[in-house]
Amino acid sequence: MEHAEEEVLRIGVFICHCGINIGGVVNVPEVVKYAMTLPNVVYAEDNLYTCSSDGLSKIKEGIGKYNLNRVIVASCTPRTHEPLFRATCEEAGVNKYLFEMANIREHCSWAHMHEPDKATEKAKDIVRMAVAKVRLLKPQDEPEIEVTPSALVIGGGISGMTSALCLADQEFKVYLVEKEPELGGMLRHLYKLFPTMLNASEGLSKIVEGVKQNKNIEVWPSTVVKQVKGFIGNFDVSVQRENRETANFQVGTIIVATGADIFEPVGMYGYKKYDNVITQFKLEQLLKDNQLKKPERVVMIQCTGAREEKGRTYCSRICCMEALKNAMLVRELYPETDVYILFRDLQTYGREYEEWRRMAQDKGVKFVKYNLEKLPEVIAGHDGKLTIDVYHALLGEQVQIESDLVVLSTPLVQREDAKELSQTLKVPLGPDGFFFEAHVKLRPIDFATDGIYVCGTAHSPKDTAESVSQALGVASRASIPMAVKRLRTEAITAMVDESLCSGCGTCVKICPYGAIEKDEKGVARVTAVVCKGCGICGASCPEKAISMSHFTDEQVVAQALAALGRTVA
Amino acid sequence: METSRSVMVIGGGIAGMQASLDLASRGLKVYLVEKTPSIGGRMAQLDKTFPTMDCSICILAPKMIECFRHPNLTILTYSELQEVSGSAGNFTVKILKKPRFVDEEKCTGCGVCAQHCPVEVPNEFDMGIGVRKAIYVPFPQAVPLKYTIDEEHCLKCGLCQKICQAEAVDLNQKPEVVHLNVGAIVVATGFELFDAQRRSEYGYGKYKNVLISLEFERLLSASGPTGGHLLRLSDGRIPKRIAFIQCVGSRSLKGGVSFCSNACCMYATKEAILIREHEPECEVYIFYNELKVFGKGFQDFITGAQTHWGVKYIRALPGEVAEDSKTGDLTLWYEDTIENMTKSIKVDIVMLCPALVPRATNKEVGGILGLELDENGFFKPKDFLFAPVDTNVPGVFICGYCQGPKDISESVVQASAAAARAAEVIALSSSKGAH
Amino acid sequence: MAYEPKIVAFLCNWCSYAGADLAGTSRICYPPNVRAIRVMCSGRVDPAFVITAFETGADGVLVTGCHPGDCHYVSGNLKAEKRMENVKKLLGLLGLKPERLRLEWISTSEGEKFAEVVADFTEQLRKMEPNPLRAEVNPRAPENTKDVISKAVKKTNVQYCLDCGKCSSSCPISKLNDAYSPRRTVEKILLGFENRVLSGTDFWTCLTCFTCTERCPSDVKFPEFVRACRRLASKEIMEELCAHRGIPMALSRIMTNPNIKQERMGWLPNGTEISPKNDLLYFVGCLPYFDVAFEDFNLNLLKIPQSVVKVLNKVGIKPAMLRNEKCCGHDLLWTGDLENFEKLAKMNVADFKKTGAARIVTACPECYRTLKKDYAERLDNFDFEVLHFSEFLSELVDKGQIEFEGKLERKVVYQDPCRLGRHMGVYEPPRKVIGSIPGVQMVEMDRNRENAVCCGVNAWLSCNKYSKEVQIDRLMEAKATGADLLVTACPKCQIHWKCVTSEKLPVNPEEVTMEMRDLSVLVAEAMHLT
Repeated sequence: MEHAEEEVLRIGVFICHCGINIGGVVNVPEVVKYAMTLPNVVYAEDNLYTCSSDGLSKIKEGIGKYNLNRVIVASCTPRTHEPLFRATCEEAGVNKYLFEMANIREHCSWAHMHEPDKATEKAKDIVRMAVAKVRLLKPQDEPEIEVTPSALVIGGGISGMTSALCLADQEFKVYLVEKEPELGGMLRHLYKLFPTMLNASEGLSKIVEGVKQNKNIEVWPSTVVKQVKGFIGNFDVSVQRENRETANFQVGTIIVATGADIFEPVGMYGYKKYDNVITQFKLEQLLKDNQLKKPERVVMIQCTGAREEKGRTYCSRICCMEALKNAMLVRELYPETDVYILFRDLQTYGREYEEWRRMAQDKGVKFVKYNLEKLPEVIAGHDGKLTIDVYHALLGEQVQIESDLVVLSTPLVQREDAKELSQTLKVPLGPDGFFFEAHVKLRPIDFATDGIYVCGTAHSPKDTAESVSQALGVASRASIPMAVKRLRTEAITAMVDESLCSGCGTCVKICPYGAIEKDEKGVARVTAVVCKGCGICGASCPEKAISMSHFTDEQVVAQALAALGRTVA
Repeated sequence: METSRSVMVIGGGIAGMQASLDLASRGLKVYLVEKTPSIGGRMAQLDKTFPTMDCSICILAPKMIECFRHPNLTILTYSELQEVSGSAGNFTVKILKKPRFVDEEKCTGCGVCAQHCPVEVPNEFDMGIGVRKAIYVPFPQAVPLKYTIDEEHCLKCGLCQKICQAEAVDLNQKPEVVHLNVGAIVVATGFELFDAQRRSEYGYGKYKNVLISLEFERLLSASGPTGGHLLRLSDGRIPKRIAFIQCVGSRSLKGGVSFCSNACCMYATKEAILIREHEPECEVYIFYNELKVFGKGFQDFITGAQTHWGVKYIRALPGEVAEDSKTGDLTLWYEDTIENMTKSIKVDIVMLCPALVPRATNKEVGGILGLELDENGFFKPKDFLFAPVDTNVPGVFICGYCQGPKDISESVVQASAAAARAAEVIALSSSKGAH
Repeated sequence: MAYEPKIVAFLCNWCSYAGADLAGTSRICYPPNVRAIRVMCSGRVDPAFVITAFETGADGVLVTGCHPGDCHYVSGNLKAEKRMENVKKLLGLLGLKPERLRLEWISTSEGEKFAEVVADFTEQLRKMEPNPLRAEVNPRAPENTKDVISKAVKKTNVQYCLDCGKCSSSCPISKLNDAYSPRRTVEKILLGFENRVLSGTDFWTCLTCFTCTERCPSDVKFPEFVRACRRLASKEIMEELCAHRGIPMALSRIMTNPNIKQERMGWLPNGTEISPKNDLLYFVGCLPYFDVAFEDFNLNLLKIPQSVVKVLNKVGIKPAMLRNEKCCGHDLLWTGDLENFEKLAKMNVADFKKTGAARIVTACPECYRTLKKDYAERLDNFDFEVLHFSEFLSELVDKGQIEFEGKLERKVVYQDPCRLGRHMGVYEPPRKVIGSIPGVQMVEMDRNRENAVCCGVNAWLSCNKYSKEVQIDRLMEAKATGADLLVTACPKCQIHWKCVTSEKLPVNPEEVTMEMRDLSVLVAEAMHLT
């Protein structure tokens, strides 16, 4: 669409009440009146819920009726509804980049709930700032790119393999990269899987066979990902096999399924000090290999190194069920052995998991609750026996339990090499160390970076069934761009004014995505499709030769001046 | 027979919508069947969601709009599944579109009809606390924003018909049968609440100030019956002390269901924080038995509630609630299991967290589709571990709460999982030719 | 008949004992069958002593005291007189000749009289049969405590306890008494600390009212667990805690003796008819004994069986009844005496069969539960249909077969007895019956049906200050409904409530005094049968 420079600006401002979220604090009608006084604003109205289909129709109506060519919605944070309003503008014939939002909820009414007058004044300022910017906006086009219909799955455990198979069955090519020499991940080391008590090896072998035989899956064992360049639909991945052979794949999407490690509780409860203090994982190995000698009394301590005050504050979700499962197995193997489980809160959340608690209770497993404030103590006694001294919180007394085998249930923790991978992919790790998704509730397996997804214990501790669900989930998410084959990319990118560029190369060095290169003329050139629009280059260019569309220096400064009450003519 | 490259999704809650959007975005045709007049499900009823404290309808509405606008998605609201035959790759489906008595093509959602309707009935969306008219939309952000006449309470006075400028009211509308041909089916029927009256010791239904969670959400919601003001229903007073009782009907071998409902410890904490936000002077107690903190961010959320917001957690499930009939104030009896003392406490409002149970109508839906249910009414997955969203009927998948207790994040994940399987089945079926 | 009767004598210190001494110093001889026990005053002689003596095989019991007016303690002997009257009545009911108990006034100087009395008594007893009772006092065979407990744990779901505390905060006693907590008791048992529990009072404090069971999410049947463990717990403590000095239990135990032929039909009103065989059998329960034991309460308990029979006759039924009906055994079962319970049960069932009855009706919820549930579970051949009288009446109301005369203008509040309500799930039939009486207006207490509150005592155990508080609270609740008549379907409830209101009350008597009526009596009244 051609846009004439001398276009007459006609700005429409739609101010939202958001029920009482905004309207209960900010005097919305007053702000509407004020908006009408701002330069180039030809229309202003208020709505109860602008995001409702009713509100959206009003926007379209307003655009049509008043011939608007710039639109402002003053409501909540752009992070929720910007795409929605942008799409609405497009439908009414206004380029989506001629739209701006004024955040008068999160940044105003919610933060100044007890000062309505000041909040109203601030809302007016925010609207004025939006008007200042929107007057300077130019329409943008979103380039379309092609999507390579193949996926990279990093991690060959149950999650990686499940998503690989699902995608492969839909005729997408999958590169399955696994660090170890064999596929299978954690499941190789597990004995029986709760709640069905299927042998992990049995379940695993079927899937591994399926993966190996699938013609659409290329398995790369003993391989790590070295570098990833590009963007959704066009990732350029470099891998290295056994520290020698390198290879390159072109993929459209990337799935992170790297799993997790088990925390080693060195220094806790006598671990590594006494031979008969082991982890739950070790117990699982002993049971699997039929190496467990008959203990007289087993004491399991839950939450070892988890749910702490600082550090590993999270709950590792599966340890309670692990303990129940292993307690049952021990009792089945040695019916005379006593089993005690020292717990804080029993996480028996799944559909059949409360049944498991009852089964354990039936089998005579004893449960002793302890609190974070008074941790149990493991004291060495004579002839290798240990005494566990614990304050039984529900009985209100100190209890001593003699034991010859103490089993510590420790949490899953993020792998050591995850930091590197997160940097390679430029995806974040959360405060608990696990990979951090785009939105905890509604986009739990997407990363904020388009085209990259995460599943399994790399995302957070979970069991086999949940890993499989998540793996199928990412398969669905990844299949979307690959199925539609073409995508529209971000229009907000850096632009170089070649006449001003001195070829100093600062921007080339500073770009985190490697989106800028010097061309044959020695002038900076931006690969728009790689550019993520962060703007770091714009702030570092000494000549002001590089700028961001939609966030030009002019536009940003206009907002600042407007904030201070000075409008640009 | 040619494989149908379309999918039917039953249930328009967050799980149904996510599955629909995934499938529609990847180029398959989706029919989203919802039995109430609007999609949105339970999330639309919530005020905020844990642990991010996002405004629920705010993060939901874009998805609802996306469903509405997506060229590959057809929403059939106020519709129910009638019959299914065929097999994976080629199901023949009959849907009954119940009559709204309003022409969806003509209705603009302006609401003038409701202003004039003389009939007021309790609003199901507001859990009966608020009211609506006989001609109504369930909530302001409803999708589609079309009015519906509730046949049971309509007086047939015709006022709405007279006043509707768009001439959209059609009191003679007949039910419509829609025939569809789909390649796969995704079931996402969600949950309902355990009837808290069955735990008669808590007095729900008898005492005005004993509420259940969803009622409370509506009270706290800005779009709810009190405009988001925290008030006692009996006398409009601002409460000074509120008690939450967890596990009402959950984890029970009798008088309830045996499983844990997964989300209650967290949503009670969420509501407790909202109360403390609304009314810093109001004390909040959460009476629990086991704190379920297993999800991502859950433990930190609860720790924050305790340390930052001053929510008090007491490890005790109260034995009974008694009411002072003059004041409406309530007395709770509990044994503080940590302090080992039996005590009573006077509170202004008691909030019960009832079990979330699979819908009773799952039996019907299961019957039509041939799906197996377990003893609790959940649809049975084909293999709990390795095929969690498959069922005993190839081509029919389940996701969300109807597959097992879970929260919103997990429902979204599982919805994508079901979508993946549905797409896979269609792909395999197409490549194999006739099924 | 050359048996030598054994006589146990209770002699008061000041008069009778000295009198006996005088007989000795004066060398006045008398038969050597008497064994004397010195007490300070004849008023000290607890009826329980007398009954224990008989239970253990005494052929005769002699109680002696000062002449009236001479009692060293003013009027102790008069109290003894009244008590021994009652014991004689009890003996009469049991079919043991009341003459076996003798009360005599013997003064310090009456050595001769003492000898004469003993000689006369011995002779009299020689002419009678020996006392058929000869209770074994051998201790039961020791049982494996851990075994019994682990079986009980499994049977009553104790191992599923979630430690939620609903039980303790529902328990009427636990709410008042911090030292008692069903949850903590369970926790101790599960951890293997059973000896602590068995040597304490925990197991005897439980009212077995089932409120905790009703609300427990894990379906832990705590009262049934308690019951199963009571056989292991300390008998000494039980005896300490048992009200009315264990007499009711002693009477039940006595009835296990096959030689006991009771005389318990005296209450049957003139004009009423019963049959030796009938499809329907009316099981009375221990009311004839309670009527004697709780004479002072003026409850007129025998009106209950009288009303039942009158109503049955009115609707054309001449019920079968057991002339030698044994106690159903409820109290023995719930205090851990399984052996004697089974004896009673087997004897009763054998007698039931002789009547050809297919249905058994009883007006006592404890008998109802015991027959319908416990007999059926523990005996092989119990195939009778058991109904509580309220259920029977409710059937009649449904069929329109009850004719009420006129109106009964009363405002009635109904108490759900624990055994009828929570134990057996019978809530509506009594209400239907009461509601069908013309003129009656029914009101409900806030805590009704499954939330009803126990009358505070069970199996005569642990009647203490907490029970009183519970009872007063409940009566105040009943009174506060505005009703003028408190109707219950359990004679025990009436007895326990009357007991608390007969004593000195910490509250205004106005607040707790209510007219009480058993359902059967109310119905008979409304039918103008009484």
